[in-house]
Amino acid sequence: MHPSLSFQGGTLVLYDFDAHRDKPAQAAMHPAFQWIKARWRCEAYHYPQLDSWLHSMRVRDRVPCWETLPLNFQDNRQPHDYQIEALDAWQNAGYLGSIVLPTGAGKTFVAIQAIQRVGRSTLIVAPTIDLLHQWYARLSNAFASQSQSSQSKPVEIGVYYGAEKIIEPITVTTYHSAGDLIAAHGNQFKLIIYDEVHHLPAPSWGETALMSPAPYRLGLTATYPEVDEQHRNKFDNRWRIEDLIGPIVYEKRIEDLIGKQLAEYRTERIRVDLTTEERNLYDADYEIYVEFIRKHGLHRSGGANWYLELMRMSTRDREARRAVLARQRIQRLLASSEAKLDALDKLLQEHIHEQVLIFTESNDAVYRIARRHLIPALTHQTKAAERKAILEAYRAGEYPALVTSKVLNEGVDVPEAKVAIVLGGNAGAREYVQRLGRILRKVGNRHATLYEIIARKTVDENRFQRRRAKEREKEKAKEMTR
Amino acid sequence: MLTADLARPRIYHRSGKLYVRTIKPNDSTWQKTAKELIELFRAHVDQPVSAWTAALEKYESDRVDYLVLRGLAKVLRDEADYVARTGAISSTDLRSRLFASGPVLSHQNLLHPLSRSEILAEVAQEIGISHSQIELLFFADLPAEHILIDTGPEWTPEALIMRYNLELSRAALYWSDQMIVHIFDGYQDFWRYLKLFKLMFWAAPITSIDAKGKEQAGYQITLDGPISPFVQSTTRYGRQLAGFLPALLLGKRWRMWANIQLPNNDKKLLYQLDNRTPLTSHFKASGEFDSKMESSFADEFEEKFGDKRGSWILTREDEVILLGDTVMIPDFAITHKKDGRRAIIEIVGFWHPDYLERKVKKVRQAQRSDLILLVYERINLSKEKLKNIPSEVLYFKRKPVLKDVIGAVKRVAVETVTVETVAVEPVAVEPPDDSNE
Repeated sequence: MHPSLSFQGGTLVLYDFDAHRDKPAQAAMHPAFQWIKARWRCEAYHYPQLDSWLHSMRVRDRVPCWETLPLNFQDNRQPHDYQIEALDAWQNAGYLGSIVLPTGAGKTFVAIQAIQRVGRSTLIVAPTIDLLHQWYARLSNAFASQSQSSQSKPVEIGVYYGAEKIIEPITVTTYHSAGDLIAAHGNQFKLIIYDEVHHLPAPSWGETALMSPAPYRLGLTATYPEVDEQHRNKFDNRWRIEDLIGPIVYEKRIEDLIGKQLAEYRTERIRVDLTTEERNLYDADYEIYVEFIRKHGLHRSGGANWYLELMRMSTRDREARRAVLARQRIQRLLASSEAKLDALDKLLQEHIHEQVLIFTESNDAVYRIARRHLIPALTHQTKAAERKAILEAYRAGEYPALVTSKVLNEGVDVPEAKVAIVLGGNAGAREYVQRLGRILRKVGNRHATLYEIIARKTVDENRFQRRRAKEREKEKAKEMTR
Repeated sequence: MLTADLARPRIYHRSGKLYVRTIKPNDSTWQKTAKELIELFRAHVDQPVSAWTAALEKYESDRVDYLVLRGLAKVLRDEADYVARTGAISSTDLRSRLFASGPVLSHQNLLHPLSRSEILAEVAQEIGISHSQIELLFFADLPAEHILIDTGPEWTPEALIMRYNLELSRAALYWSDQMIVHIFDGYQDFWRYLKLFKLMFWAAPITSIDAKGKEQAGYQITLDGPISPFVQSTTRYGRQLAGFLPALLLGKRWRMWANIQLPNNDKKLLYQLDNRTPLTSHFKASGEFDSKMESSFADEFEEKFGDKRGSWILTREDEVILLGDTVMIPDFAITHKKDGRRAIIEIVGFWHPDYLERKVKKVRQAQRSDLILLVYERINLSKEKLKNIPSEVLYFKRKPVLKDVIGAVKRVAVETVTVETVAVEPVAVEPPDDSNE
């Protein structure tokens, strides 16, 4: 039987190989291999190093299952000089290494060019599902444009994460799901692109780079981690990016690659009242909740994790459980109280000729609004293809409004909107601020408006007041440092 | 299987050992709860998941044992069947169509003259479905709107609780990076399920001497995954080990240890189980015999040489031939009552060509002169294919000729070769006095 090398669950295994058979003297076993469980095995990422050895030992290479991509597209966009420089540097390094570019410098475009240059099956790993969807949309658009020019069918983009597992020659996955995908299909990809590669050192995520035989690797990030060699101890089981995908091949730290255009915007708080029924329910629940918190001094003793402490108590103490349930009921009630929905309706009447983005706390509220007003809904349950179609139609002006729950987040393109409406503002202050920045950062959005619909005499107001208090503090601090 | 958030709170550790807080199946309070949940669940057949979730929430009320309730509910759900409502149009396409007609506001104006019901009526007519069907199909693809079409097996309260306990015990393995087992029987099932759960093993023979002085032969097996030897420690295969656990429970005598590393905890913990556990398995054990040929052979042997009639004892699948990263478990072993000479027998019947090739490869690798192959004449296994194999080969037309087989046994049986084994503690069979709770 002919000796062969196969891919198995993230490792490479030699079959029918007898080190002493074909050579009279002790054969030089490649140092990457280890004798484990009666076979010679190594981590898949040694694959590129084995090339000449496999050749000289006449071992059949059964590892690669990647395809040649029929890519031959002409992109209308002009790449920036630094993008070309970066790609050339990466190519000269053997298509291995990381490119560090500031946010907004067009790393997606760099990735697309990289795929184009390699021209083989590629896996893209993104840190979150939201980013996964964004990659899916951008890659689909980049490579779909070819079908018009060439005879071949359009390149399908696969997605692999919790809700969807579709594997195509170009596939996007998350760090979380990459392990399973690579263990089963790692040898189907010749190039791996790690988006936000500063996440890679995490123990179980770095492992995935070990498990892939892909000879070509690209890391993209704006913030490369500093590894202080002297202070790494042997208990640190974090990986080094250089060991997994190669060193930094190009770095550009420009302060402002694109001019920040701070549009002027106004914020408007719309206060509504709960209905009598809602008010009664709210007051009763609030009493239960606040009483318990006060009685046990949770805010003080628990610190930042007071809520976790409350949850723990709720598995032992009935009153604690009641407090947790009361809090949940309050949140549900506030997410879409009748008056808030009416206020939303009125705002829509006023602004329906403009682009509107509606944000709300819970998925239930999103679907309720979507059903009532026939407005497209985006939640984490929306699959990649539908999400892409909705966002594109919205951007094209075909949908004047969109309703979503915390799905458009950091680093993800939020489409331009003239009006943003936040129902309840239940989310943490940081997310809120980010959303503010997002809709307004886009080009030429003068006089954009952010509406926040809050219920009077409820925690909505307290939260709002806390946020304003934090903002005022920040402003004061700035004043003092001038 | 349970999600980590339902299992983790029921797991605790003391002095480096990990324990699972199971619930007593004969506890009347828990039986009452289980019964109520089963009835409540069954009452929700043909309703959407959201209705069940709401009913469960109501049932939970302010009970502090809500995590156990949800665990029991998860078991019920996992064994049930769901399906999304379908219609003349897919939910995605319907939404696309409806959103294109939106947005709808409470007051109509020049730009948006139609009311919601008017729009729905229009779309309904266009597609050819009713107004109410539109409402049903709108978000029918969401998991919460899937319909419960089959509520699963006929659970008794006790069975549900026992299954919950099993799922908790399995979940502890999510954070395991390796498992070591001692097994003394049930080899066929053990390796079959190992393969199913894509686990890697390394085995070595062991012996133990029980309280009565009887020697037990078995195997020590280490279980992990492909990447395990190359990294410091990985819990990547925890789910697979958890999935596999019920297979271990099929054996009569066994023990297992697993290294556990809980999240946000540096301590390495030890999780132990053995055959005295009250946990039961829902996995199917392979039947008494794989094929009619085997059962006929065993029957005939029993008839002619069983009991005091003959000097040989026939046993089934009690030896594992270790072949590196795979094993071969011959169908039978035949041992002399007096002098303990032993031979192993494999019946080769109607097999798929690929399977046959793999089997022949194993037999060749095994290089066992005490192995007898009983080959069915009609399959394509010529002597040519069996060259370089020291095993004895007998061909048969309809069924193996027992006289010839015994003849072959006498030729090849060897006295038990002293295999290098490790002596281990015997596994007790009586359950301990107290359980975990």
